[in-house]
Amino acid sequence: MNWKKLLFNWRVLLLTIFIIGSIASLLTYGLTFGLDISGGTAITVKLEHPVDQNTMEQVKVSLEKRLNQLGVKDIKVEPWGDQYIIVKVAGVTEEEARSVKETIERQGVFYAEFEGVIFATGEDIVQVFPIQIEPKGTYYEWSVPFRISKQAAEKFAQLAKDKAGYPVDMFLDPPVNSLFVVPQEGYNLMITDFKGEAPDAMPLTERIKKAFNIDTIAYTNQSIDEIVNLAKDKKLVVLVSVDKNLRDQLEAKGITVRYFEPQQGEDLKSLITRALGLYGPYSLGSGLAQGIPQTDVRITGTAPNQYIAQQEAQVIAVVLSSGSLPVKVYVEGSQYISPELGENFKRQVLIAGIAALIVVGLVIWFHYRKLRIAIPVTFTSLSEVIIILGIAALIKWNLDLPSIAGIIAAIGTGVDQQIVITDELLGRSKREKIVKRSSILKRMGRAFFVILASATTTVVAMSFLFKFFVGGLRGFAFTTILGVIIGISITRPAYAEIAKFLIGEKR
Amino acid sequence: MIKDKLKKLTEIETKKMIIYPLIVFFVSLLILAVHFPQLGIDLKGGVVVTAYGVDANPDEVAKYLSQQLNIDVRVEKFTGIGKESSGINVYAPADVDPEKIREALKQRFPDAKYAISEVRPTFGAMAREQGIKAISLAFLGMAVVVFLFFRVPVPSFTVIFSAFSDMVIALALMSIFGIELSQATIAALLMLIGYSVDSNILLTTKLLKRKEDTVEEAYFSAVSTGFTMSTTTLGALASLWLFSTAKVIDEIAIVLIFGLLADFMNTWILNAGVLRWFIAKKEEREKSKTSKKTSMSSKASKKKKGGRK
Repeated sequence: MNWKKLLFNWRVLLLTIFIIGSIASLLTYGLTFGLDISGGTAITVKLEHPVDQNTMEQVKVSLEKRLNQLGVKDIKVEPWGDQYIIVKVAGVTEEEARSVKETIERQGVFYAEFEGVIFATGEDIVQVFPIQIEPKGTYYEWSVPFRISKQAAEKFAQLAKDKAGYPVDMFLDPPVNSLFVVPQEGYNLMITDFKGEAPDAMPLTERIKKAFNIDTIAYTNQSIDEIVNLAKDKKLVVLVSVDKNLRDQLEAKGITVRYFEPQQGEDLKSLITRALGLYGPYSLGSGLAQGIPQTDVRITGTAPNQYIAQQEAQVIAVVLSSGSLPVKVYVEGSQYISPELGENFKRQVLIAGIAALIVVGLVIWFHYRKLRIAIPVTFTSLSEVIIILGIAALIKWNLDLPSIAGIIAAIGTGVDQQIVITDELLGRSKREKIVKRSSILKRMGRAFFVILASATTTVVAMSFLFKFFVGGLRGFAFTTILGVIIGISITRPAYAEIAKFLIGEKR
Repeated sequence: MIKDKLKKLTEIETKKMIIYPLIVFFVSLLILAVHFPQLGIDLKGGVVVTAYGVDANPDEVAKYLSQQLNIDVRVEKFTGIGKESSGINVYAPADVDPEKIREALKQRFPDAKYAISEVRPTFGAMAREQGIKAISLAFLGMAVVVFLFFRVPVPSFTVIFSAFSDMVIALALMSIFGIELSQATIAALLMLIGYSVDSNILLTTKLLKRKEDTVEEAYFSAVSTGFTMSTTTLGALASLWLFSTAKVIDEIAIVLIFGLLADFMNTWILNAGVLRWFIAKKEEREKSKTSKKTSMSSKASKKKKGGRK
């Protein structure tokens, strides 16, 4: 026996490299699990008619904006083809999952408000024109031109007369009729900031109270009962960057709560803006403060570079147009799995996978009565699983239940093919004692013909599944194809070498 | 012991080897014509609310829900290993709000964990269309690949027919055991194409290309390899089916098990029968070409084969 020769055989070496690489990939990136394992909700949204890529992007961005208003984390909005969008939210409670669905079903509600008076809603926005960006020396000025209805223009002209520099606010899905709980510092900000260029403008707290019946309080360790009392007659309590326990306690009392905490690099002011669904405030230009109705208006701002300017303008354009999404959307289906349940599934598939490997090993041992065959076969299958998982981790493939079923199905075909190799090798020993190398090669050639033919058919069949299915079964197709390809290119050749070594030459 | 049983397979008459599987195939077609498997909600639209960790009488739950919500529901019970993995499935038509069902269930089973899934009929119709498209194209693709690999019409056609028969029999078994045709089971049926071709190609290669052995020896060697292959795969699938309670995984596993059982018959009996007949015919033809004498002796040897029951 020449173990060294085996270990340095390039096929075995390739397998070793792949196993090490996959373990490294698993350790660095970790596996990402699909919603059916990690728990969460997936909602299939259908657009009224197929759209071009630009419109799809616009719908995607505006859905994202609106869902971000809910205060849930980890929202993914993925377009599928030209007519479907799948919204995935991981690890949410049943109530949160429901509000995600409701938000999508409801067309976004846009409000333009001035000094506590709503002068325009989404219906008043007639058209949003392409954004413009102009370099102005050291900075960039962006503007979003849009047209509002005549009624809105007239209402606004009256309101805004002689109020140049006053703040104009825009809201998308604001938390109407709610109790807004912020830290003291945030409360102070809401009183003093958000005033445009007019120090005597109405503070933000009053503007939202008047326009949307939102009561703002500073959180100074009030008791739960006090808060519950304040929230009486309110639809919702919005908690911004306060004690997280408060949320659970309020929810336990049957109160609907939205909880916001700062994302990376987000300051308190932007957090409040996000929680309110507020865009702005924008200072009223003097041109609009003359009392003459104008239907063509624009929002302008400045940014230090072109990229930021582009982004800011894009957001505004989306907000303005999302009051009426470019196309109507319908919820076509939804799945929800509670996070604890997902955890249960994960444990089960792990057990099932290990059990499958053990059963395969036992059956092989039972057939051949040789550990020399059973161990390498089981080991090869295990390494195949490790490599599939390693690649999945590397490309951040979402491992959902069908993907895992696909991996186990791939073990099935993998073992089949190893048996074909083993039997071709064993077959000769019945009659011939000394085997010429050419004979082994011929047998291996035959084994690999079978393997190649069946691998090709599996890949062809699964490719159609991968291409034509919108649903989660692409995962099944993907891991099966991946498993088969890894099988024919890496693990099977290596197994053939190991098997030749262990059962071929030793006899 | 198993080897002896397998050896018996080599002794069945060629005609019977072809006829029995064909009977099973036609019976399956008949079953499908009378009672096609039900469509899952992902293919026809509808609502399923699953409550895990619940041990309840399904009829009572159905009655309770129809009293509470005034809707018609179908309730099914399932059990798995461990308390967490047992529960009930509540099926309702597509226009019912699944939240209402969940809320009603929650009043009765506050500790249960829920999974909810709803699909609108229009989306179901699209998925159905995609499923038919995927299956037909995958089947065509498989047929083309098989022809390209063998380039001989009769064996290629038999491999393709075997795969088709596997799918038909698996579908018939699904209908008998009340397993729905869903996206998951369609995927499993497609996977059957892969498994089926696997064993059939092994058999065909051995019989057609292995010239150093007799047909019987080659067949026996193929069948024992094939038997090992099927048992390992069945073992892997059975553990998947046993240890998991996720519906998707269970359904994929059980349909593959049905298909593999069908495939065992279709490959090692039907396809083997056709191939033996094909090889015998071919040899006959070759011999008759060279001389008439040898043709007669071939007939004699054929008689001998038939008598060896």
